[in-house]
This record gives sequence, structure tokens and C-alpha cells, in this order.
Amino acid sequence: MATINASISLSSDIMSYPISINKSMSMKKLASCHGLDETTGLRTKKFGTVTTAAVIVEHDELTDDKAHMVYIRNTTSSKAGYFYVAYNSGAAAATTTEVIGKLYGGDWMLFPYNGNTNITVASDGAAEQTLEYMVFADGIVTAAG
Amino acid sequence: MATTTATVSISSGDLNPGSSLSINASSQLMKTGLTTGLELMEMGNHSIATSTEFNLSSALGEVNGAHYVYICNTTTNDEYYIEWGLHDTMIGNLNSGQWMFIPWNNAVATDSEIELEAKNGTCTFEYAIFKSAWTLPTAAA
Repeated sequence: MATINASISLSSDIMSYPISINKSMSMKKLASCHGLDETTGLRTKKFGTVTTAAVIVEHDELTDDKAHMVYIRNTTSSKAGYFYVAYNSGAAAATTTEVIGKLYGGDWMLFPYNGNTNITVASDGAAEQTLEYMVFADGIVTAAG
Repeated sequence: MATTTATVSISSGDLNPGSSLSINASSQLMKTGLTTGLELMEMGNHSIATSTEFNLSSALGEVNGAHYVYICNTTTNDEYYIEWGLHDTMIGNLNSGQWMFIPWNNAVATDSEIELEAKNGTCTFEYAIFKSAWTLPTAAA
């Protein structure tokens, strides 16, 4: 069993008093006290000025109905560009079912994922952008021989 | 202009044998496609009874915008978890003590609600939603 820790810090002066949220967690298997101990590895991918959708997490590599965690970051410095990120077999656009959100330059996301459908992204295509991503897996399907 | 910053650190000393993992990222959250800060937020705590669905977000607001959502399952029982999704599609399972942070674009105003459902027992959670722009309900006549 591995130990994978993650912490978040959210701060804002959007209200009249400072907002400060700090939380730490240990990534665990579904409904269990045992930690996640597998990963598909940290990957980096550059995307050119095209808007073609690309699958970055293939659900058939992961066990279904589990508590995987997915980390994605748009490492581009410009805030003008973004990726659509969708829970979809092969599409990611403004109204794709189910598009989660738009990941702008510098933004990151970390979310639990059940492994039942692909995670697909699509660049806005205005400029070259780079994504880094990693799945912390609650079960990886052994490749067929 | 409001300044809202989100920082994450992920670490493990034994996930990859021979090399420790250390990911650190920080981002200043901005309005949709702009360099100005977000202008609205809401936060709170709730509990959800077993197998009950909870709609975290309203359908009002900027469609296809830059909004951000933080949710933490504050339940302490390891067997209780929260299934989360958009509209009627469930996307993942948030274990007790775990948090998540996502951008949320409110893709289709009536079909992009964030839904939470407690599994195995009553779950408590805390949340914060940061919004790029939002339409408040019109007062009833």
C-alpha cells in the first residue's frame, strides 16, 4: 500500500473578509482505509493549434466503478487559452455531454473518477498549449496478451 | 479586483519505487478568458442522507463560463462516500476525508447541475463555488 497525500489551499479576498481553505487528504481505495497504490504515470502532451478532441484517460485501462483520482494541469502561461475537459468517450466541446469545465492556462484540477468512461480534452486551438496529467488508480486492468 | 488563488501539492514517497513524487501547482483564478478576478462565490456545509441526491448548483448563471468548484467529503466513516456527477451522469466517487477541485463551465444552463449522492450512509460535505459571473434570480412580482 502506498501513501499518496494531496493538499489544497484556496485563498480569496472576494468577500469582505479573507477566505482561506486548507485541506489535506490521503488518496484511498473506494470505501476503504487502504491507500491507492497504482498509477498510469505522469504524462505531458503538447497540443498544436487544432481543436480535435483527444482521449487522455482511457477508461478500459482502469477498473470500473472505483475511486480513481485524476490530476490535470494546463501548464500554458497565458490565461487566454483553455482546454475543454469532458467525461466522454471521444468528444469535448462547449455542450458535450458531460463537459466538466474549461481548464485555462495555469489552472489545475483534481477529481475523483469512476473509470467508466474516457476523459477527453480539446484545445481551443488558438495557440500551442501543454497538458500534464496523471491518474492515481484504484485498480488497473491488466493488458490482454 | 478580487484575487483568488488555488494551490495544490501532491506527494508520495512510495508510489514510484526509487523516486518520490512531488507535484506543486498554483493558479490565480480569473473570469472567463480575461485577466480580471472572479466576482462571486458561495460556500457552505450540508449533509446528504443515504442514496439521496443533492443538487449543489443552480442552473442560473453564465453558460460556458469560468467557474470553479471545491467539495470536501468531511464524513469520517471510511465506508461512506459521495458519488458526484453532472446532470444525470455520475463521474466519480469522493471518499470520506477527500476533496476535489474542478473548473465548471455550466455548459448547458439546465443540464449542468453538479449532483451529489451519499452512499453507504449519511455524508456531510463542505463546498465553495467561485463564479465568473452569475445571474441572480428575478424577484417574483
